[in-house]
This record gives sequence, structure tokens and C-alpha cells, in this order.
Amino acid sequence: MDESALERYFDDSIANDSCLSLEEELGVQSPAPVPEDSSFLSGKAGPSREPGEELDLSFLPDELSTQEEPGRHDDTALDTSQDSGIHPDYNSRDSTAAAAAAADPQQGAPMLGIGASPFCPMTPMTPMTPMTPVTERSGIIPQLQNIVSTVNLGCPLDLKFIALQARNAEYNPKRFAAVIMRIREPRTTALIFSSGKMVCTGAKSEEQSRLAARKYARVVQKLGFPARFLDFKIQNMVASCDVCFPIRLEGLVLTHQQFSSYEPELFPGLIYRMVKPRIVLLIFVSGKVVLTGAKERAEIYEAFENIYPILRGFRKQ
Amino acid sequence: MSGAGVSCPGCGSSNIVDDDLYSQAQMVCVDCGSVVSEGVLAHDPNGGSDVSYSWTTAVTRKPCVNLVKGLQRVKAICRILRVNKEIEDLSQTYYKQAYQHQTFIKVSLQKKEVLAGCCVLVSCRLLNWPITMATMSCLLDADPMVVGVVYQEMVKVLRIEAPIVNVTDVVEAHSQEYKISLLHVPEQLAENSKDLAKRAVALVELAADTWIVTGRKPIPIMMAAIYLAWQSLKPSKQRLKFTLDRFCQIAKVNKHRTALKRITEMKEVLCKLGREIPWVREEVTPDNVVRQVDDILKNRYALLRRALRTHEDALQAEDSVTEEVASSQASEPVEHTPNASAVELYGLNSERTQQPGDGNESPCTAPELQNDSQESQESAPNWGKRMLFAPPCVTHPKRRRAGLPGLQDVNGDEEISDSEIDSYIRTPREAREFALTQKILSLSESEKS
Repeated sequence: MDESALERYFDDSIANDSCLSLEEELGVQSPAPVPEDSSFLSGKAGPSREPGEELDLSFLPDELSTQEEPGRHDDTALDTSQDSGIHPDYNSRDSTAAAAAAADPQQGAPMLGIGASPFCPMTPMTPMTPMTPVTERSGIIPQLQNIVSTVNLGCPLDLKFIALQARNAEYNPKRFAAVIMRIREPRTTALIFSSGKMVCTGAKSEEQSRLAARKYARVVQKLGFPARFLDFKIQNMVASCDVCFPIRLEGLVLTHQQFSSYEPELFPGLIYRMVKPRIVLLIFVSGKVVLTGAKERAEIYEAFENIYPILRGFRKQ
Repeated sequence: MSGAGVSCPGCGSSNIVDDDLYSQAQMVCVDCGSVVSEGVLAHDPNGGSDVSYSWTTAVTRKPCVNLVKGLQRVKAICRILRVNKEIEDLSQTYYKQAYQHQTFIKVSLQKKEVLAGCCVLVSCRLLNWPITMATMSCLLDADPMVVGVVYQEMVKVLRIEAPIVNVTDVVEAHSQEYKISLLHVPEQLAENSKDLAKRAVALVELAADTWIVTGRKPIPIMMAAIYLAWQSLKPSKQRLKFTLDRFCQIAKVNKHRTALKRITEMKEVLCKLGREIPWVREEVTPDNVVRQVDDILKNRYALLRRALRTHEDALQAEDSVTEEVASSQASEPVEHTPNASAVELYGLNSERTQQPGDGNESPCTAPELQNDSQESQESAPNWGKRMLFAPPCVTHPKRRRAGLPGLQDVNGDEEISDSEIDSYIRTPREAREFALTQKILSLSESEKS
């Protein structure tokens, strides 16, 4: 009885307070898994089926390639995840294919005349479909490592009480004026302030961050506070990837001086502040790239696609 | 206040007290009673005037004392470094600009001193007179990280785009620090500083070409280069037995621990090149490579080319072997799991056809990760191991704990089970016990202190 009442109350508060922002988010988030999944998997399945083929273009969309795609979408869509695991696998296949495609510009160029994303017929500006990460250029997809989000629980909180009643909370007012709470699934940490505002960190995707924030709000609710779920917002996204070749950072800082800062005495990586989109990239000699400062996934993908050709230029001494 | 350092003109005693019994404060000698000084009718209020300096009109009439001192400090640093007049002028200009900017006007005096050093640093970089940040921190006697922070802020505020310091430029200046000439050490250990610097520069250039320098702090690299140069200029048994520790002792410099790692890395590179020398019969190992350094450096470009070619040939031979193995396996259907070697071969073949003569650029597309994540950890650094020279962080990657897979396929709106939430909340009894324990603990803490 209590359970269903709580659920209803919670869902009500979501519906009433943040309907606009949520709809937008839902609109952005939910269609995302499907096209990405299928696109990745079609790419993965492709090369294994035709090892003998010279140029494997199966990663390109249906209308442009000669193979049949629909069957693959259905059976492979189920056992894939949106992030993690499958992607590195995909990286290698696609880089191979990408390299193959890049070698043959006549075939590659006309297919991508549309713009950035061969899979998504709409331009990246449309809010409904996020920009897909695959282009003919890199085939590498940055993986999200950390999402920082904030939410307003909408009521003042007694931090001492929370620290006393909750198992997973720590509170040291002399050190920091917030309760640090952790949950196991999704593995995240939250800072809960007495004003009722909360910061949730450590999730690996936007949806996980939202789920985690809801769980924290639920815990606070169970402790007896009239917590709501207002203004959930992703504040920062961090992603990383590997271009798999070493990079001459000294050269990069020479040619892109207005954007780069490279001080080996202070930090081994080059700090590249991209203007559009406004993302900071940490580029290391090993070829690993960390992207941060994004509010949306598309910004990260766009930033990486912008930097990849620049980095390829520094591949050869 | 009793007259510190003030002596009575009448009797010479220093026992002078401030006597403000009367309306006018006076300093009176206790012994002879003479008035040493007469107070003014109106004192400046204790602790200075009520209006702070920045609000007074003195700002326009008299420049800030700290600014003047800071400019003098900039000049002093320039003189110590013996830079030219241009650099001195430029750094003073920058200091004036930075000092008056809002970011720096209210920082501590210590930071302002560091700012002075940073202005000199940036001017040196702009006018091609390279010094390292470590040198500047030594000069300022400040934490290198603090210097770094102030430097970066200053560069951002003043919008300067300063070129980076090339390690090869700094080596010569750095080698002057090493007291290893005939004046300081016996003949068998002594080395002419010019020869030493020249050889060290060659070693650093080689290190830069083979990915040892990028991303690393310059000083340990220079130390390693100078040590190896010193050893190789006269590779006697005595010198070869000298450890880095002892070398730094006799040269009177502070040893850097990471220099040992750089020495190992450099020796590895030298070995790779040493193996290509046609007239060397014995096997080249890190122990005996120092004797070959002279030859290696003289012919380093030729040796580099040879080494790359040899490596490429070796790779092609390896590929043809795997091709034979894979072709026997390729007949099997590859429906469910991609045949790793076949795909790898496929990937490599396509790479080879595109970039024939490029041994160093081994496939970046070498398929790294199989379905099994464990395999992936081993084959991930593959691309580095296939290259002859790769950044050491790639060939020896840090072993990272594999992250737990965690949730997949989350849409953010799932049902949250009550039991899960309950698991995060204490039972009433638990909460009572916890509160009690805390009280006991805090009592014992307060008793202790």
C-alpha cells in the first residue's frame, strides 16, 4: 500500500514539476539506443561475414550499400548495449572499414555528401535524433566515463538526521557542508546539501545518472522528507577514447597555438580548448584522448570528429 | 613602546619610554628626563589611515610600493639569469600589465613574487631564450606547481601565446650546472663541458625522435642524457661502473629518481639502433651499449632507417606466417564469432596496401579487442608493440583494474524497488546504536584532548 502510494507521489511530482524538460530529455534519450545499437552491430557483423571482400562497406546505411540490412537489425538489437563492451569491438572493425573506405575516396565521398552522419538522415541539429558518432572518418566512438548532474529535491533537509538514519551516508560538517551518499547500482556518489539541492556523479550514461538521482531522492523520501525531483540537469559529461597512434604534441601545439596549451613540466597531456563545440580535450602522446565539458553527448562526438583529422595529421613525423 | 634602537641624546641611555600622560605624546628618557622627541599633535590612526591606499588619491600621485618592488624584483631576476635588455624590458611591461589586472591585484605578496618570475619566464620564451619552469621555481624558491598555476593564469589574462621550450635548446645551459670539468674532478672523470653538451644534445634529439621526450618533464631526460654522454665519451671500466647516484654526487647536482627510468628507456633505444651496426659482432645489450654510443650517434639517421626497415620486414614475415595459419582456419564458417586472426589479417592487408613504405606506422587499426575482455587487455597495447619505437606509456601500459560492467540498457525511468531503497536505510535499533557509539567516541576524543 505504501509502496504504490510512494510511487504515485513520486511519479506525480515528476509529471507536474518538470514535464517540459523531461519530455525533451525522453525524446532525446529513448530513440538513441535503437539506431546506435543497430548501426554498431551491423558494422560488427559485416566484416565477419565477408572476410574476403576488398572493401567492406556494410557499416554504411541501407540505401547506400548493396547488402540487406533489416534482418540484422532485429536479431542483433537485443543483445547489445548502448555503451561499453561492444564499442571497442566496433572500433576495430570500423577503423578497418574506415581505413578501407578512406582509401577509396570516390566511393566514400558521394555517400557522405549529406553531412556528418550517414546513419541519420536528419541533420544533427534536430533534437529528436542525436548525432550518431560514426562517420567515414574515424569510426572511433568516445565512451562516456562520468556524468555529473544536479537535481533539486525541493525541500530543506536535516543533514544530521540523514547521516544518522542512512547506511550509505557520510557527513563531516567541519570538512564539507553536505552529506556524501553512495548507492551500488548504478555505482554513483551524491552530494546532498541542506538546501535540498543534490549533485550526482559517477554514472556512465545520462539515463543511469537520472536513475541514480531518482534513487537518492527516493532514499531521502523514505527518510521522511517531502522530496521531489525538480530541474534534473546534466551539468558535465566526460568521455575518453583511443586513436591508436602516437601523437607529436609539440607539433600540435605549434600549429594550433591559439587553442592548445602544452606544458610537459606541469602535465603530460596537451590541453586543447575547442571553440565549437565548447569542449576541452586532453590529448596524450599515447593517442588517448579525454573529452570533457559537454552538456550533451552530441557535443562530445562532434568534438572528437573535429579533432580526429587534426590528430591524423600529426601521425607521421 | 620603549625606544628600540633610539638612544637619548642627553645621556645616551636607551631606556626611553613613550609618555602619553599629557595631551601630547612624548618619548622621554627615564634616566635623565630629557624629551627625546615630541609627538605630533595629530597621529595617523593606529594601523594606518581609515581609507585604504587604493581609495586615496595617492594612487595617482605615487605608484604602488609593491608594484615598484615587484618591478625591481623582475629586474633582479633578469640580471641573475643574464638575459638581454629586450627580455628585461618585455618582462617589466608584462609585470606592470599583469599586476594591475583584477586577477592579480589582490593576491598575496608571495604570489606577486611568483608572478614576477613568470613574467620573466614568458618573456624568455617569446624572445627565444629558453629556460625551464623548474629553473624558475628554484630561483624563486617556490613550489613548481604554484609557479605553474600562476604562469597559466597570467598567460590567459594577458593573452600571450608563448612557444614551448624545446628540450634540446635547454640542454646546453643545463649541462653547465654539472661540475664535471677538469677543475672539479680528477682527469679520468673529467669532461669538457662543450663536448658533453654536444653529445647530450644528440642523445636528447634521438630520444625526441623515438618518443621518449613528448609528455615528460625535461630535467630527468637531460640528466639521463648528460650521464650517458659522460659515460660514452670515455667508456672506461671506471666510468661504466659509476651509478647515476655517484655521478650526481661528483657533479654536485640533485639526483632525480625518474632519470633512472629515462636512462633505461634511452639505453633500450640505443640497443635497437646498436643492433643494426654492421661491424658489431657481439650482441648489443643495455650493459654494453654505452661503448657503441659514439658510433650510434654519428650514424643515427642511417641506423634509424635500417632499423625501421628491418622491423617492417620482420612484421611482414610474421604476417605471412599467420596468413598460412589463418587460411587453414578460414574455411570454417565465421557466423557467430569473428575469426580473430582472419580479421586481423584482413585488417593488416588493407593497411599494407595503403601504406607500403611506412614501417613505423604500423596498423593503428590492428583489431584490438575480441569478444573476451581479458584478451582485449592483452591485445590492446598491440599497436604499440608492433611499432619499433612507441611512447613507453603505450608499450608498458599501467595495469588498470577492470571496471565492473554495471547497468546496461537503462532508460532512467525504471521502477525502483522498495527493498533496494530499504537496504540503504538503517533500522531504528541500528540508528540508536550508531548514535550511542558516536557519542561514546566523541566523549573519548574530548577526554583525550
